[in-house]
Amino acid sequence: MFHLSRRTFLAGTGLAVLAKGGLLIPSPAWAAPKVGAAAPAFTAAATSGQAVSLADQRGKIVVLEWTNHDCPYVVKHYSTGNMQALQKEATGQGVVWLTIISSAPGTQGHVSPRQADELTVTRKASPTAVLLDRAGAVGKAYGATNTPHMYVIDKAGTLMYAGAIDDRPTSRRGDVQGAHNYVREALQAVAAGQPVKTPVTRAYGCTVKYA
Amino acid sequence: MTGGMGPRALCLALTVALLTTWASCAPAASAPASPLVRVELLGETQSIRPGGTFWLALHQRITPGWHTYWGVNPGDAGEPTRIEWALPAGFTAGEIAWPYPARFPVGIAMSYGYEREVVLPIPMTAPRGLAPGTPVTLRGQASWLVCDKICIPEEAPVALSLPVATDTPRPDPRGAPLIAAARRTLPAPSPWPASFVATAETVTLTVAARDLAPERIAEVWFYPARWGAIEHAASQRTRVEPGRVTLEVKRGQLAEATATALEGVLVVAERLDGGIARQAFSVRAEPPSGHAALALLWAMALALAGGLVLNLMPCVLPVLSVKALALVGHASGYAALRRHGLAYTAGVLASFAVVAGALLALRAGGEQIGWGFQLQSPVVVTLLAYVLFAVALSLSGVFTVGGRFAGAGQALAGRAGYAGSFFTGALATVAATPCTAPFMGAAVGYAVTQPWTTALLVFEALALGLALPFLLLTLIPAWRRFVPKPGPWMRRLQQALAFPLYASVAWLLWVVSQQAASAGVAAVLAGLLLIAFAAWLYQASRDARAAGRRVATLAVAALAVGAVALGPLTGAVSSTPVPAATRADGWEPFSPARLAELRAAGRPVFVNVTAAWCLTCLVNERVALRAPAVTEVLARKGVATLRADWTNRDPAITRVLGQFGRNGVPLYLLYPPRAAGEPAVLPQILGESAVIDALDKL
Repeated sequence: MFHLSRRTFLAGTGLAVLAKGGLLIPSPAWAAPKVGAAAPAFTAAATSGQAVSLADQRGKIVVLEWTNHDCPYVVKHYSTGNMQALQKEATGQGVVWLTIISSAPGTQGHVSPRQADELTVTRKASPTAVLLDRAGAVGKAYGATNTPHMYVIDKAGTLMYAGAIDDRPTSRRGDVQGAHNYVREALQAVAAGQPVKTPVTRAYGCTVKYA
Repeated sequence: MTGGMGPRALCLALTVALLTTWASCAPAASAPASPLVRVELLGETQSIRPGGTFWLALHQRITPGWHTYWGVNPGDAGEPTRIEWALPAGFTAGEIAWPYPARFPVGIAMSYGYEREVVLPIPMTAPRGLAPGTPVTLRGQASWLVCDKICIPEEAPVALSLPVATDTPRPDPRGAPLIAAARRTLPAPSPWPASFVATAETVTLTVAARDLAPERIAEVWFYPARWGAIEHAASQRTRVEPGRVTLEVKRGQLAEATATALEGVLVVAERLDGGIARQAFSVRAEPPSGHAALALLWAMALALAGGLVLNLMPCVLPVLSVKALALVGHASGYAALRRHGLAYTAGVLASFAVVAGALLALRAGGEQIGWGFQLQSPVVVTLLAYVLFAVALSLSGVFTVGGRFAGAGQALAGRAGYAGSFFTGALATVAATPCTAPFMGAAVGYAVTQPWTTALLVFEALALGLALPFLLLTLIPAWRRFVPKPGPWMRRLQQALAFPLYASVAWLLWVVSQQAASAGVAAVLAGLLLIAFAAWLYQASRDARAAGRRVATLAVAALAVGAVALGPLTGAVSSTPVPAATRADGWEPFSPARLAELRAAGRPVFVNVTAAWCLTCLVNERVALRAPAVTEVLARKGVATLRADWTNRDPAITRVLGQFGRNGVPLYLLYPPRAAGEPAVLPQILGESAVIDALDKL
């Protein structure tokens, strides 16, 4: 279903940690990608069954949005229309918006392709595609720890932003009003070819429900 | 008081919000009980004083398997507990004082928080103009996120009513102990300097934790104060060495989080007899940029200055002045003089290297010793007393080495060769050791926490300071002008200089008397007698014929051997050595006899069984036993305080521990005033209130 070019590299890191750490428990075999470096390549199945690959998006700005529709923090941004507004604004300017669900089967937020499409309709969301990452490989390649967890990739495939959607790390809907949206800021800067003012922030929300 | 938005309410809210009917909100199997966290506002006191500061606490009782979050840094996900206050006019609420957290790894993320139960203390200030007699109700809305695999935000109104009164508030029987216990889990300011180095991939934190005994440390964990400094979920490679804890962990994603200082909480789990005790310290580590080098230079400068001061010590000054006079007065030519100075300096540097090397090697082997450790052995102290006594006798003119008259100084400059100068350096070092500790404190304290190369540099700076005046005297010819011309006055001066040495011997004898029983002191006195007799015999035989001289030399050798053989007797007969450091501050050294005596006199007795290498003991002493409120109650109740120091092996204290089923410290015993009453055993983690409560029961 997916292909991950960083996989061998990741496994290598794990082994290196094992060898170096001796008796110690090795770090989890994942590495958050560096902002300013190439975004990890991936290919994952969209709800339509079609494979979507990051490599195919060259020349377009890409937003990755990790989600779990039952997470109160995701609910905060969807029930207020905040996420949908940003999606509409971005895709309207030619940005590719990929919503990614890494919840493993049997965990919160896991959905079938049909359920995912229903969610898009009922929530009036407008992502370019919703990707199902049941095994969590894409999420772990990006070090996605939260829902929502947001990434912005520029036209050349460089990771430009990683972190929270905004600066109000709460589940209160009222906090959407007046929040400073880091993703919107990053999108504007990337579109204008300028450096992103706040390239890394602490994502907030629920943990991603990996297998 | 309790309540919250249960999952069912939440699901309903979600369903309504999402306008969807199938949202899998309520799979019966995983439906958590509502609410997951029960909260209550506790007061530490039963009343409020106008204008006073008082403490409240939010008590969270959390469904097993779920956790709430640390307010300093909740980790990679999650959100801290909050209270939005709606207080009466004039009241102000401070920030929550956060107890140190636990770790909750979830997949590739790490959360910091609390499970089962947590008490979050909050300081409050009351306005001055409150009318006594009226009750005040403090209200707020508490909100928190509670997670196991999934997360649920909950909230509940909290309130507490307290009367206003002007007299001293009485502790609340339920709130006070809970808040006092919570205070024990607040990070204390770290007593140790810390530094860190960040590379592209890792962050290495070094804490110069002097008081940790590596074999007793079960775990050390660093909780950063902000996200992005380190990778929360990565393992922390911990190395606990004598005097130092090093933690290496993967660097976090936020470069600026490690740009200035690395702040966080270091939680040290120490193995005690009764289990594991955790101590939390707030740490602020500075980046190394030049600081380490600066610290080293500063320590070396301090050490050099200290070394210079050593020249004036009563045990060193006589040796050096006589040597200097003898050399400057007699040596021929600048070149020879310079070589003497260099040989002497080499002697000082080499002997310091030997002693410091031994110290560092022993510490690396896990021995809990510090500079001056040589003096912890009565045998070494005795031998030192013998050497100084022999030198003093020589200065007094009782004997001269070499036969011909050349003044007593020649006994030291002695064998006119450079070896003589080298050994004068060694002798100066030996004579200086007892004086080192008080003057060198800062520099030596720094040195022993550093890698051995750095440590040696500091010790050698100290050595150079000691050697410097003499070295300069020999190197700079112009300085010889300050040395008076030799003459008969030198003899008087030498004799006079013997007395500081006798004084040093007397002091060392006192040290022995602290370390060994009176029989040991008698043995040393006998040894001194033998040395005096040998010195006299040696000198008297110089005028005899060859055969007589040979017999006398043999006799002197036998006497010297006898004196030295008496030395170890002090070790053999030594009873309980009492480290001198334990006698200050109103705590008497413990002995079973003293305890029996105090109890026979009907006095209540508090026994503190402790050790210098026990971190928990030191923390307990700081936060509880030396707290003003505790010392006040101890004094008011006339409690005799005994400190049993188990730093060194001590069979008497080991027996006491055994009586209470322990094989380790700390142990706190409170004997009631009635001679027959059984002592109360206090907990190993002491709080101020625990001690006061126990004392109140007397």
